[in-house]
Amino acid sequence: MELIIGLAVVALIAVFFISQYNRLIRLNITVDEAWAQIEVQLKRRADLIPNLVETVKGYAKHEQSTFDAVVTARAKATTATTVADTAAADGMVTQALRGLLAVAEAYPDLKASANFMSLQEELATTENKVAFSRQFYNDNVRSLNTAVKTIPSSFFAGFAKVSEREFYEVEDPQDRNVPNVSFN
Amino acid sequence: MQAANRRKTIGLLMGMGVLMWVVVYAALTYFGGSGAGIVPIAVGIALISVWGSYYGSDKLVLTMTGAKLIQESDNPKLFDLIQEITIASGLPMPKVAVVIDDAPNAFATGRNPEHALIAFTTGILDVMDRDQLQGVIAHELAHVANRDTLVSAVAATTAGAIAIVSDMLTRMMFFGGRRDRDSNANPIALILSLVILILAPLAAVMLKSAISRKRESLADATAVSFTRNPAGLRSALEVLAADSTVVQQRSTAVAHIWIESPLDAKSVSKMFSTHPPIQERIAVLKSMESLG
Repeated sequence: MELIIGLAVVALIAVFFISQYNRLIRLNITVDEAWAQIEVQLKRRADLIPNLVETVKGYAKHEQSTFDAVVTARAKATTATTVADTAAADGMVTQALRGLLAVAEAYPDLKASANFMSLQEELATTENKVAFSRQFYNDNVRSLNTAVKTIPSSFFAGFAKVSEREFYEVEDPQDRNVPNVSFN
Repeated sequence: MQAANRRKTIGLLMGMGVLMWVVVYAALTYFGGSGAGIVPIAVGIALISVWGSYYGSDKLVLTMTGAKLIQESDNPKLFDLIQEITIASGLPMPKVAVVIDDAPNAFATGRNPEHALIAFTTGILDVMDRDQLQGVIAHELAHVANRDTLVSAVAATTAGAIAIVSDMLTRMMFFGGRRDRDSNANPIALILSLVILILAPLAAVMLKSAISRKRESLADATAVSFTRNPAGLRSALEVLAADSTVVQQRSTAVAHIWIESPLDAKSVSKMFSTHPPIQERIAVLKSMESLG
């Protein structure tokens, strides 16, 4: 009888260890996957840029500084590897693209062109996909970091070789603007 | 919000279990031992009928609603929007279908996220803008993420089993099936169990509808956690509320799967409604907007 109870206790402890270990590994893999998704979407956006710049150039030749900003930001984005660098370059590209679209506003012919409209739709969905992949990544980093820091999973972090991961934080000057407050 | 909704669903499912137990108890009181044999048969019938449709739900619903599967090339814009939400939710890409119907509506089904299917009427694709459609897609994929096909299959199984049990027992009553007629059973208990057997199916349907309403509210909340944009879904629901056209096919069997109930609101009272009142859902989303 004692033997059976002893074995049951050992089995329960083993199940607990395994589930804690697996949970950490799973969270870590999900963060890796979420990161890969961000890279896929950023790559997609980078691939759209040359086409977009060419299209805008066809109508708006005298906006060289805007084009340069986009091209420089894109170059930075495609060479970045760490989370912080990628996020910083991502913010720059978003900013530069916003400038490019603002320029396009001044050229009715450009805005009306079918090519530009389809590019604009593609850019809109890609921007959304980038934003959602960021959100998904950060949500998963939050779960992972919470697991790494809280008891009991924190005891297994070292053993599972899982550590805290870096959040993907994009510096967007527009986010820091004072919000419009209206009372109506 | 989401946790509270989940707790309420579990509570309601437990309510189903209790109801089942009460029915069995009433059957035993009324019929003695012979009533008990009915229960496993009823559960068996309900299980087979409901779980068959649960397992093949994606294919079955296609034929029941007349939805047609579409490919990415048929509507790239819609696929882009769906991909956005799959990225936000981490779900696999579902199958996409379109129902040719002017009434704006949408639904999701499938036994698990890998077999998910979401469908839209041509009406909803025509009237909604990007943000609204995104909200609708997020609501449908929220059903997939919350495994609502499974939840409603469990609810339907229990409700079905209860209906079959009381149906069979009421029939037995008419044929004088009570064996221990001469025994000195308490007459009040006998009448009470009779009343329970008659009212149980009604209570089961009410519980099933309550579960469905909770899952709708939960899907709205989960949708917002995907898009972080309650305004999109809110304005989509406003479009649905303002629209008076109703999906042509009104089979009650699939009423619960649509985002907006296809049944005429006046014909179903609140207790039996599969959806919370749309104004209530809009108000909840508005309160989320002011938070964000």
